[in-house]
Amino acid sequence: MRVTETAAIPKSPVAQRAPVRIEIDDDATPVVRLLGRTLRDAVRTGHAPEVLGRGTGTVAVRSHVTPQAATVTLHGGAVTVTGGVFAPADATLVVDLESRFAPTRDPDGDAELAGGMLRALRPPLPPWREAAEHFWDVTRGIRGVPDVLVAVAREPEGPQEARFGAGPSTYRMVGTPEALAGVFTGADYLLTSLESGLRVQGTLSQLSVMTAASWKVRFDV
Amino acid sequence: MSELTRPASTRSARTAPTRAVRLEATGHDGSFLGKTVTPAKFASGKESGFAFADILFAIDLGNAFVYGDAFPDWRGNLYDISMIPDMATLVQWKPGLEAVIGDYWLRDGRPVPICPRNMVRRLVERLQALGYTAKVAVEIETTLFAESVQEARARGYRDLTPLGGDTGATYHLARSKDWVDYMDAVTDRLDELGITWEAWTDEAAPGQTELNLAPSDPVSLGDSWVRTKQVMREVAFEQDRSVTFMAKPTAGFGQGAHINLSLHRDGENQFFAPGGPSEVMLQAVGGLMATMAGNTLLALPQITSYRRLVDISGPPTTISWGVNNKTAAVRAIVGHPKYARLEYRLPGSDVNPYYALAGVLAGVVAGIERRMQAPPQVDDMAWSLPYDSGVERIPDTITKAIAALEGDEILREYLGEEFVDFWVASRRWEWMEFHTKGGDPYAELSAWETRRYFEFP
Repeated sequence: MRVTETAAIPKSPVAQRAPVRIEIDDDATPVVRLLGRTLRDAVRTGHAPEVLGRGTGTVAVRSHVTPQAATVTLHGGAVTVTGGVFAPADATLVVDLESRFAPTRDPDGDAELAGGMLRALRPPLPPWREAAEHFWDVTRGIRGVPDVLVAVAREPEGPQEARFGAGPSTYRMVGTPEALAGVFTGADYLLTSLESGLRVQGTLSQLSVMTAASWKVRFDV
Repeated sequence: MSELTRPASTRSARTAPTRAVRLEATGHDGSFLGKTVTPAKFASGKESGFAFADILFAIDLGNAFVYGDAFPDWRGNLYDISMIPDMATLVQWKPGLEAVIGDYWLRDGRPVPICPRNMVRRLVERLQALGYTAKVAVEIETTLFAESVQEARARGYRDLTPLGGDTGATYHLARSKDWVDYMDAVTDRLDELGITWEAWTDEAAPGQTELNLAPSDPVSLGDSWVRTKQVMREVAFEQDRSVTFMAKPTAGFGQGAHINLSLHRDGENQFFAPGGPSEVMLQAVGGLMATMAGNTLLALPQITSYRRLVDISGPPTTISWGVNNKTAAVRAIVGHPKYARLEYRLPGSDVNPYYALAGVLAGVVAGIERRMQAPPQVDDMAWSLPYDSGVERIPDTITKAIAALEGDEILREYLGEEFVDFWVASRRWEWMEFHTKGGDPYAELSAWETRRYFEFP
């Protein structure tokens, strides 16, 4: 199987000691892309190095409601994500892909490996401002993205605002710090977040292009 | 005959007062969309146009909004666009019901840039500017099942009974009467509507038929194609059968929609030359080869479309052409002033007919305008060629086809930047919906696909 290398640039001291390569299929499915992007972010932030840097074994990751499935293979500091599950895995996770890989039932197989992989797939979210800045950096080049992104977090002490870009067209996103960080990191999908309380202000066309932006940070497409 | 009606043919002289007029056009996915209006309403709007929400270009086959691109200016928060009937297409569909096909226009009088029928019209005009007229024909493959559509729905469109049995192969004249009766009813209706068909036959898959429409100008051929599909559905409803234009309705054979094209000037077939392809035919081939990877996204528009692409099973799998080579993607028929033509074998039966025609015309016009050279023809079997053969494979997934169209500068020029960006985004949405809403890429054919594509487009 041909794979595309998506090398991560480690930031943390731990990751620098053991740089981890994350590889995914060519022409990868969304679930493979989601796993690859999540694990790349984990490496980038130095999350779960004991799993990604030193673990070995295969983990099957399955959606709890759709046929989406992938196999994550850990082998000596390299991680490969491939579509489907075509051989018995050392561990199997059944998760809610729309809920940040929340397990929907107990893992099967190697409990330590399964637990480690779940940890790797569920990194803590960064502060919402930091996530918004990253989102803006990654998506501002998409054709049609509004000139200005305004993120408003409903903090206990009152609304807090961050503004990115300059120009006549503006898009506002308002939500809890958790909701904003979820969308801006790609942990959550924009359209799903709208069903659970995130609010946006802009045109339908802007929602369309912000959906593409959400795909970019979530799936890297 | 009503005042509105113009005869489709001499056989359509049924008399009945007009009770309603059906406005017809396709959306982006090729579904036949429209409204039925009173004669008074039709009379009041037949020149100024009828309002349609732009969502007809924004809703997918699962009834969800399609997102993923920046809308052009003419699309806002669900603006209206105008459908103006082309009165040349007015027919009596059945006693009391007139039908007319239209195009979508903006308020400022410009055509909607992604309007499928207008796209064909634009390319026909560009071809005419070069001094050519095109004649195109299509071979429509479809599969018939003994169950009614209600029964098919109840079964999830699975485990249906092929009409005419599931034994034998192709060209059988002894298919059972139920199958023959269906096709006789279809051709009777086509005759009444003035749609000229040339042949129909038993095709390779169980329950499958191929119906050939006669050559005509590209816009008229598109009109006849979408109406023929509607007729085949209506006859199925009347006979408690079901019919589908899915690219692959079962895990077995797929079904295509080969487009045949020739170019004419002063009544002479310009593809004919003694002894082989004419120079203009070779230029057209050059354009079709150069645009085939990008055009794949138009010719194979749905997820299931790509399941057809299996070597040595009928559909082309390589970007190839050859004289009388049916294993290639483009077959050149040469040596006869009447029959010389190109057969573009890539499209599936699930195409938007107008987009498919526009894609082919774009390749042909580009080839002529840019004097493109045809690559060497493939004399061998064009399937299963080794990687070092010098012949590229057709993109075999929708994501590969998206990438090909996105980067196709020729098609961006000839189909329009706006259309290419729109179509790329809409197909990326389709890919995402398939994977995240229940489709199974590892199944031979998943339930998500049959539910989404069996009845429409």
